[in-house]
This record gives sequence, structure tokens and C-alpha cells, in this order.
Amino acid sequence: MSGGTAKLPQGDAPAASWRGRRAFWLVPLLLLPVPALLNQYQQYVVNMMLMYVPVAVGFNLVVGNLGLLAFSNVAFFGIGAYTTGVLMLQAGLPWWMTIIPAGLMGAIAGCATSVPALRGVRSFYLAIMTLAFGELMRWVYIRWEPVTGGSMGMAVPAPDFLGWPLITEGRKFYVFLALALLVVIATDRLLRTRFGRAFLAIRSNEVAAAAMGIPTDRYIVLCFGWSGFAVGIGGAMYAALVGHLTPVSFDLTELLVEFAMIMVGGLGSLVGSVIGAVVITAAPQVFLDFPGFQELVFGVLIILVLLFLPNGLASLLARLHPGFRDRYHRE
Amino acid sequence: MLAQLVVSGVAAGMLYALVALSMTVVYRATTVVNFGHGDMVAAGAYAVLVFAVGLGMPFAAALALATAVLFLFGVLLQRVLLQPIIAGPHLSLAMMVLAVGFTLRGAERLEWGNEVINLARPYPRGVFMLGSVVVTMDDVVITGCVLALLLVLFVVFHVTPIGRIIQAVFQTERGAALVGINVRAFHAVMWGAGAALGAIGGVLLALIVPLTPDMGQWVLLQGFAAMTIGGFGSLYGALVGGVLLGMMQNVLGFYVGTVFIDITAYLVIILVLLIRPNGLFGRQSTVRV
Amino acid sequence: MAALLEVFEAMVRFGGLIAVNDVSLRVGAGEICALIGPNGAGKTTLFNAIAGYVPLNAGRILLHGTPIQDFAPHRIAAGGVRRTFQNGGLFGHLTALENVLVGLHTQVESGFFGVVLGSRRSGVAEATASARGRKLLDLMDLGHIADQPAHSLSGGQQRMVEIVRALATDPPLLLLDEPAVGLAPPMRQILGGVIRRLAEERGIGILLIEHAIELVMSISDRVIVLNYGRKVADGSPDEVRADRNVLEAYLGHA
Repeated sequence: MSGGTAKLPQGDAPAASWRGRRAFWLVPLLLLPVPALLNQYQQYVVNMMLMYVPVAVGFNLVVGNLGLLAFSNVAFFGIGAYTTGVLMLQAGLPWWMTIIPAGLMGAIAGCATSVPALRGVRSFYLAIMTLAFGELMRWVYIRWEPVTGGSMGMAVPAPDFLGWPLITEGRKFYVFLALALLVVIATDRLLRTRFGRAFLAIRSNEVAAAAMGIPTDRYIVLCFGWSGFAVGIGGAMYAALVGHLTPVSFDLTELLVEFAMIMVGGLGSLVGSVIGAVVITAAPQVFLDFPGFQELVFGVLIILVLLFLPNGLASLLARLHPGFRDRYHRE
Repeated sequence: MLAQLVVSGVAAGMLYALVALSMTVVYRATTVVNFGHGDMVAAGAYAVLVFAVGLGMPFAAALALATAVLFLFGVLLQRVLLQPIIAGPHLSLAMMVLAVGFTLRGAERLEWGNEVINLARPYPRGVFMLGSVVVTMDDVVITGCVLALLLVLFVVFHVTPIGRIIQAVFQTERGAALVGINVRAFHAVMWGAGAALGAIGGVLLALIVPLTPDMGQWVLLQGFAAMTIGGFGSLYGALVGGVLLGMMQNVLGFYVGTVFIDITAYLVIILVLLIRPNGLFGRQSTVRV
Repeated sequence: MAALLEVFEAMVRFGGLIAVNDVSLRVGAGEICALIGPNGAGKTTLFNAIAGYVPLNAGRILLHGTPIQDFAPHRIAAGGVRRTFQNGGLFGHLTALENVLVGLHTQVESGFFGVVLGSRRSGVAEATASARGRKLLDLMDLGHIADQPAHSLSGGQQRMVEIVRALATDPPLLLLDEPAVGLAPPMRQILGGVIRRLAEERGIGILLIEHAIELVMSISDRVIVLNYGRKVADGSPDEVRADRNVLEAYLGHA
């Protein structure tokens, strides 16, 4: 009974999901000519969408899949961005060399943030604690002037990729697309395997998960670490995109934007994270740029989603296209 | 010097206590943690701005009206936005109130931009001496108002029939429903009460701090810190926690470093929740997850 | 019969209350052992202690001769002790198959880096696990519901999926927490048959908590009675049925 054969099973991957998998590769292919069609500003917006993909993916992993109310995402984002900035300014590294360190710093922050969760801190206690951590990090950015430039922020030198200067938004697009794809593919792999199942099991019933032999502590740390890694990379992309880091960019407002992405997209859904990142980044562009108007619209948007579409746009997609059903979208 | 720090800390602490109390009331009544509360406090301040400065009403009337408006706001919030999703995951409720707070902030920013507004004090500025300790008129007014409010709440809670209903529902919601108390209406009213108390806190805050649309963010964390020290769910804890927070900020800020004025709240939250999550008076309540 | 599980003088105390007091028992391979007693007798606490959720204040628990009383629950599970839960231990959002795959978790050989980098080995390991999971469900005639979310299944189906999940790794010891609760008598019969087959055909040692006395008496090799945390009887169903202490435990206390 134990140890199966190495034969691939017949009926495991239903034909529809294979179609979905192949359709997936169509998307980046179709996107390749995009820079030729958009002006610099429009391209900038698209690049911002791509930047938010790993951020939303990382956030959704902890809140949606693992089921823990961790509001620390913005802290990882800021840490990733500032790591890039500091390494470029102080150590003179080119941007592309800071991507992995930014991810790693995010991962370390993620693991650190998972400590209270390991000690049993849950629900809104965890939310408040991670919120406080995020604000503490912001205070660090403001106070640690020699390194972070304080409230005035730090200007990030021009980014390049392996020597190719990313002087146009179009060039950034290709690098960002590749990074976003890598994060999505890697996370998808995690979610489709025993790791993803373990996260969902822990979310559903932690006690039972342990009874299946899952070392829940290790998996919680892993989830937070991977989340931090992904979001940290997003932070590196932010530094390259915006070019200037200020502490105010990493406050509760940013948290709400990121929350909006995963809620509108669909909690626990990888496809939802991508949809959310795209939609929420696009939304402010549709509205006028009066101070406060964006916030108002965001707030109302989230309220409407919570009332009428609690499982996000991904659930709509799943309903419209049963063959395209993202298996990690949960009702 | 220590005495001075403690005394001025108490006044600030009273404010935090009021904010924490208003959040605790809502939490006890409905088990929801209001992440948008800071913005409701700010909204109270802005409401007074509108009534007193914009419409030229006398301050006391403006305060009363602002409180009433926020009360209504709280009731409507619960009825229209929270009740429909009450059976869902806790995250949705937290997000909903966060989004509401955010919306309030957006509206405020739309109207007043990012300018910093100072509310004129409706009382003369002054300074008293208690021995060698300086006590400002602000300290007196704030502390006096909060104490008066606490007295009123105490009386309502312990003496009036409404207070008994509140006590009953706090103890056992199911039992209260079984004896015919309209729990739904209760929830709505308690949200209203929480918002109203928050509004009063906002007004008091506006006396000493300039109004900006983002002030709610800071208030929220202070309120959380106070609740954490005192123990989530404990009304007395909210009071004690708030006052202790005020004192700690001042004392640490002077003796250890001015950084602590900003970060005491954050450190308190992280350390207390890690080491002694129940705070001083907290109870092991079942948390809706 | 080799001793699979041995509990020596176990004591569990919660503050002033002693929930389990000086309880010893043995379960052998292929043996069905039932733990019965009035509510509050300490059965669930003892269960949780064996499974690692509750620490012992005194005594030892041995699995295949190895002391496990200080092990974390996941380690005990990985060591061969699996359990079902009283109310809904299934992962509701996951499909029946996914539930079983979680049961298989410790035997799926896909490592973190292998998965992230998309190694062939991980892919094969996952596919193998999937196939195995389906086969396990097929054996219990549950193959047709493999891809349905667990929360949408009927009570009886859920119970069965939970058992399949617990058995996925072929554990030598199975702890069943009130497996018959909420099931209609015909379903109980079927359940009893399944449990007996597990013990007889696969040599699994089974310790179960149950209130359905007829079921217990009909399938158990041995019955252990707890009352107020102490063991008051330990023997074959017939012996226990006739034991005065047992009658007193159930009838003598209101």
C-alpha cells in the first residue's frame, strides 16, 4: 500500500485545467508588444500593476491561504524598497543586484513577524501587533536619517538590469514582467503542492493539521517568509519605478490599498491577487486626481465588494468559466 | 520633575482612556474591533469644526450636535454595513470598518485638503500651580470632561435600566436574547455609543492637537496600546491603560529619550501581546475568528 | 500480541482538577480497544494526552516502546498515531481528495526548493500522491466525491473521508473520537464493520472513545471504563458488562 509507483496518473489533471495552464502562458506572450502601444505615462501605470503583483500575492498568501490576520505587509514592502535604496546608495550596487537581497530582507522580516503567530497570537491581536510593527518600521525610516534619508526620503539612483539601463518605462516593463511572472509561477507551484494544502489546512483547522503530521510552526514561518520574500521583491521594483522613497508611502493608507487588492481580487486566490493588483492600480487612474477623492472611492469600493462580492472578482471569474477555475479559490 | 511628567501625562492619558473606552464598548458589545475608530474620532473633531466654525454655533451646541451626528453614524454603520456581513469571517468586518474609516478620511481630505487646522479653544487659556507642578487649563478641561463623562457612564451602567440591559448582554448575549432583549438593536445602539464617545474624544483631542485628515491613524494606535495594557475587553482596563500610557510616554520621553513619545504605543503593543496578552485586566474571551 | 501503545500511570491535572488519575492501558496491534465512561470522566483528555495536545503531569506513554509523552502532536502523528475528531475534523474548504492528501502529507516527497524550482522529482511525487489518494477513496467507494469540497458532503460521507484521511499513511495506531456520533443505526453498523476490518485485515491498533454502547460492545476486543479520571474496569465486553463498578459509574451518579 505504501509508496506508489512512479507512473503518472491518468485522471488527475482534468483536461480543462490543462487548457487553463496553457492559456496562462498566452498572457505574457500577448503582453510582449505592449510597450509599443502605450505612452510613457500609461506604461508607468502598467509597470505599477506589475509591481503590485508580487505584493498582492505575498499578502494573499498569509491572509487568504494561511488565514492569519497579519497587517505587516506594508512593513515588508518598505523594508524591500529601503534595502534596495540603501544598497544602491551606500554600497553602490546596481539595481538588479539588490533584487534578491530586498527579497531576503523581506523574508527575514516575514519570519520575524511570524513569531507572535507561533506563540498563539491570533485574529485581531495579531492584526494590531503587526500594525504596530508596520508603524514602528515607518518610525525607523523617519528617524534613521543617515541611512534612510529621514522624512525627506531617499532618491534611488537610476536602475539597470545586468548593465542594460532601464531608462524608459518600456524597458522596465520587461524586467518587471519577468519578475512578476517568476513570483507568480513559484507561488503557484507552492500552492498546488503539499505546501499549499498545508497552509489551507492550518487555516481551516490548526489542531487537525498538526494531527496530520504537519509541523504547523514551521509552515507558518515558511508562509510568512515566502510572503515577505515576494513582497520584498515588490519593494525593490517600487524603488526602481518611483525612484524616491519616503516613509509616508508605507503607512496605513498603503495597507488599505493592498488589502483592497486582495479583497477585490479574491482572498486565497492566486489569480485573484493578480486581478486585484491590476484593477486597484487602474482604479485611481479612472478618477480625478483631487486629494481625498481616491481614498473616498477606494473606501466605497471596498465596502461594496465586502457587501456584494465577498469572494472577490476571482469568484466571478470562476463562475463564468468553470474550466478556468483556480483551484485555490475558496468559498 | 517626575510629578510634573506624571500629571501632564494623566491629562493626555485621560484622552487615550476615552478613545480606548469607546473602542472597548463596541468590542464588548459586538466582539468587533473597530479599526476605523481613529477616523471616527477624527470625524468627531471635524464635525465640531463644521458646526462651530463653519456654521457659527456656540461650542457646546456644536459639541452636542457632533456627538449626536456621530451616534447616528455609528447606528447606521452597524445596521447598513455590518449587520449584513455579520455571519462572515471576522476579517471582513475588520476590513469594512477600516474601509469606512478610510472613506471618512477621504471625505475630510476632499473638503479641507491637507491643511492643518487649529480649533479655537472655547475657554480662556490659563495655568495653575499645584505646588511645583504646572497644570494647564487644557489639562483641567480634558481631565474634567472625561471624568464627568465617566461618572455619567458609570451611573448609566450601574443604576439605570438601560445599564442593566447592557450588563446583561455583556454577560451573555444568548441569554439576553432569550429574555427578550432585542440584541440587534442593542448592537446598533452600542456602535452609536462607541462612535459618539469617540466623537467627544475627538473634540477634546482637537483642543490640544491640530486637525489633519490623518490624525485618526495615530489615535487608533494609541487606543490599541491603551486597550492592550489594560487588557482587551475590560472597561476599567481601558481607563487604567490609557492613563498609564499617557504617563509612560511622558516619563520615558523625558528620562530615556524623546523617541519614546512616538513609539511607546507601538512597543507596548508588541511587547505586551507577546509577553502577557491579557494585559492587566483582560479576560480570556472567545475571539471570533 | 505486541504492545503497540502503552500508557503507564498517566496523570493530567488542570489546576486543582485532576482529569486523568493514574490510568494505565495497553493497545496491541490489530486490537480494538474502547474507552467509555460518563461525561467528564477524562476520556477526551486522555486521548488528547496520547495525541500530544495535553502534557502529562505524571506517567509515561510509549509507542512501540518509545516514550512519546513529551512529543509535539505533529511528531506523534508522523510517528504513526493518527486520529479523527469529534466534530468536523475535516478541512471544510478542501476537497475530499485534498483532505486525504493532507493526511498523506508526511509521505509526499516534494521538498520546498524542488517545488519552487519545478523539479521533475517533485512533480512526480505530487502526482503519485494524488493517484494514491484517489485510490484510497475508491476503496471506500468514495471515488465519485473526491473533487467535492468537504463541507458539501453528507455527514456519513464526511465521517468516512475523515477515516480514509486518517488511514492514508497506513498508521499502526488509530485514535477514533466518537466516530458514531450523529450517525443513524444502519450507518453505525457499516462503521462498525469498517473498523473491525481495519483491525483484522490490516492489523491496525484502534483506540476509540464512544458513547454508543451497543456498537462498542459488538466490535471491541477490550473495553476500558473511566470514571472521574480513574480506570474502573478493563476487560472483555462481557466482563465489563457484568462489572458492578461499571454499573455504579453509570447509574450511581446522577
